Amino acid sequence: MTSDPREIHDLPEEEFLAEVHSFEFWFQAIEGYLGGTTWGHRADPGTVLLSDPERDRLVSVLCNYMVGELAALDGASGLVALAPSHRAKVFLATQVADEARHVEVFRHRLQELGVADAEAEIARRASPSVQEFRRRLRGFVEGKDWPAALFAQNVVLECLEFAVFQDHAREADPVTADILRRVIKDERRHVGFGENELGRQLAADRPLRRRLARLRRELDVLVLDTLAGTARIVGLDTTGSERIGRAYVEAVERLGLLR
Amino acid sequence: MSDPLHELVSERAGQLEPPRQRFVLEDDTGFDEVPKKYRKFYRKWAGPDDRLAPNEVLCPVCKVVIRSTRELRPGDRVYCMPCMSRLIVVQGANGTLEARVAY
Repeated sequence: MTSDPREIHDLPEEEFLAEVHSFEFWFQAIEGYLGGTTWGHRADPGTVLLSDPERDRLVSVLCNYMVGELAALDGASGLVALAPSHRAKVFLATQVADEARHVEVFRHRLQELGVADAEAEIARRASPSVQEFRRRLRGFVEGKDWPAALFAQNVVLECLEFAVFQDHAREADPVTADILRRVIKDERRHVGFGENELGRQLAADRPLRRRLARLRRELDVLVLDTLAGTARIVGLDTTGSERIGRAYVEAVERLGLLR
Repeated sequence: MSDPLHELVSERAGQLEPPRQRFVLEDDTGFDEVPKKYRKFYRKWAGPDDRLAPNEVLCPVCKVVIRSTRELRPGDRVYCMPCMSRLIVVQGANGTLEARVAY
């Protein structure tokens, strides 16, 4: 790879894929937006005093985010062993680090908000649908079902997180918003990895497309339920919920899984 | 957005295709999600009212604006490094350029 690429789009495809799936690429990428931060945010993003109901609502939201991030951490770490290529293995290893960071910064934010026992609070506040989703994902990984696990984790879950976090960051307090904006930058890679990796497999495997389309219909119940619950807690209106759902629908449509 | 140099270079000598505009990409677009050496090829998208230049196209997967040193045309291949997608430029229904994922 040259040190000063004149036209990145002229790179041979293999060279591009090797570059973006490398640990070196990941390290230099995250350095750009995580360097100089502490617990996932810059030193002084501003302060807003939260009222008790606002604080309570934020704790509930973060507890639900934690379930998603823990699901992705367990999922990505299990998928490293199932990955069909060296590139996918290395990428998933970087995703494990990303997910662990997300768990850590959300957990720290919960502590800042006065939550002493995060696990107990998560068990009490997380929606049944997101907890069920976590169980389903774990089942796919334990069953060594690479395409189903990748679809559930890097398409369904990551698409929802990517969209929900963007909406939430617009109205969140400065610290939470700053944390979310940096998490979103990680999610962009996870979403892209899932869609492209699965897209390559689906292009050559029609039975797999039919199987994942069936799985998509099954998971949609949980997705819709999780979306409705999140929208209610975050305080999104109908337009916000539709916008979040759209990112997921567009992704499954591109993959040919809407039928 | 960068200033076009209007360096009229026909990429395929002998063909009737009009020459492409060339662009100088500024180093800092404020986009920090890829290693420094690649940052000039990407910028944040400002939403539906964001008018794209002739050397830009929106990544449908992650909604980042992809930039090239040359004017883009249907059939061109571009890479979205932030989400690792390979894309093909197509003419959209309203005449603007769009990108389709090429798995």
